[in-house]
Amino acid sequence: MKIQELRELIKLIDDSSIDEFKYEEGGAKVTMRKQVKGAEKQTVVEGVQTVTAAPTTPAAPVPQEERQVEQPTTELKPQNPIQEEPTHSSNEKGIKAITSPMVGTFYQAPSPDSAPYVQVGDHVQENSVVCIVEAMKLMNEIEAEVKGEIVEVLVENGQLVEYGQELFLVRTG
Amino acid sequence: MKAKLLQLLLTMSDSYISGQAISEQLGCSRTAIWKHIDALRKEGYKIEAVQNKGYRLVFTPNLLTDHSIQATLATERFGKKVIVRDEVTSTQELAHQFAQEGNEEGTIIVAEQQTAGKGRLGRKWYSPKGTGIWMSIILRPSLAIQEAPQLTLVAAVAVVRAIKNVTGIEASIKWPNDLLINDRKVAGILTEMQADPDRIQSIILGIGMNVLQEEVPEELEEIATSLWKEKGVQVDRTALLAEILKELEWFYDTFLQSGLQFIKPMWEAHARGMGERITARGVNETVTGTALGITDQGVLRILDDKGNEREVYSGDLDFFHTDR
Repeated sequence: MKIQELRELIKLIDDSSIDEFKYEEGGAKVTMRKQVKGAEKQTVVEGVQTVTAAPTTPAAPVPQEERQVEQPTTELKPQNPIQEEPTHSSNEKGIKAITSPMVGTFYQAPSPDSAPYVQVGDHVQENSVVCIVEAMKLMNEIEAEVKGEIVEVLVENGQLVEYGQELFLVRTG
Repeated sequence: MKAKLLQLLLTMSDSYISGQAISEQLGCSRTAIWKHIDALRKEGYKIEAVQNKGYRLVFTPNLLTDHSIQATLATERFGKKVIVRDEVTSTQELAHQFAQEGNEEGTIIVAEQQTAGKGRLGRKWYSPKGTGIWMSIILRPSLAIQEAPQLTLVAAVAVVRAIKNVTGIEASIKWPNDLLINDRKVAGILTEMQADPDRIQSIILGIGMNVLQEEVPEELEEIATSLWKEKGVQVDRTALLAEILKELEWFYDTFLQSGLQFIKPMWEAHARGMGERITARGVNETVTGTALGITDQGVLRILDDKGNEREVYSGDLDFFHTDR
């Protein structure tokens, strides 16, 4: 399996509700297991190499090649300062994350002079626009898709966000 | 009816067509035809009427109307429904409304004037009355959401081709989607998407083009231009709009069928600044280096000054030297 395919797979598993995944092809075995309680997710590729999956939130627009570094699993550390002291997590009961459906730049407001679409404490409906993710001048208005209160904004205005990256945490119900 | 009459007059404009022939072709009375001819004349069309010969169109005003557009279109789907307004705040805004009301793919919204034309991130677009093409089109592609941004590049290539076909001018593309002539902006493309987590509801593709401005405001002279300024003639906006839709439909269908693979080399062939030193200004970061081209997804590749290859998804480009 190519490293690129592996990356895609890791992303897909990351975004899914699957906790464990095994795959075999031509003698190479891949096993991925999520440690859902902690901030880290760990990926083990047995018999081939050991890869650490980065947290779902990269800090800056760094090319993909640099983000995922091969290192022994014993050295697993959260790499993103935003997640170091999480006040909330999408694993908590009653907390849901709004994620980005594509790679692009996160904008919290419709224009630089406008107020943000939402802030911590705001109540959102399923169809409330919470931000824009833009790539190549395609502006994607992201809707909350859940009803509740914004409890955390996980990214900064102008930041590059990845596919599936958590943008907001919402307390539902 | 008016559109069909106009279409007939346009195709027969080097000869006369009798009232009898028109009424047979369109299946209506000669009185009805006379009424429509009269209405067209009031809009500024000059239509000769000669006894025993018939009608002949001798002059077309440079107007965008639903019937002028429909009479000129050569597309399968794009522009089959045309909504023309004299004045709107922005065609993008109106198109969003029409999309939400369920209007189908290919519906276009055209305005003679925008009072709050939309540029990216709320930037204004200078769009005085009757001088440009301000158009938004509703698209409903079955595409993965992360592939949708490539549509901006697809549209840029289509519009470059349309300008070339109608005026002979070779415009260049400033990544990802501005069109330049002699390094001044002549057109811009803005794409806005509404999507569920797994499905695109609609994409509103907006195209703004400066066509009939004899002059541009002094403060914009260095950065903006119009086709009239560059070509020295008053390009027929209806013909240009119809050509844009024709090219756009073809490139859109090709993109949906086979992705960016055929379109990428065409985009690169028209791109400004590739292989040159450029700066990409983002909100939080500016990348300076050599533009290497685009990825298969249309993402800009820059070799920065530290020797790292960077992938740029957003930003405004500055060039260091110009062709002027």
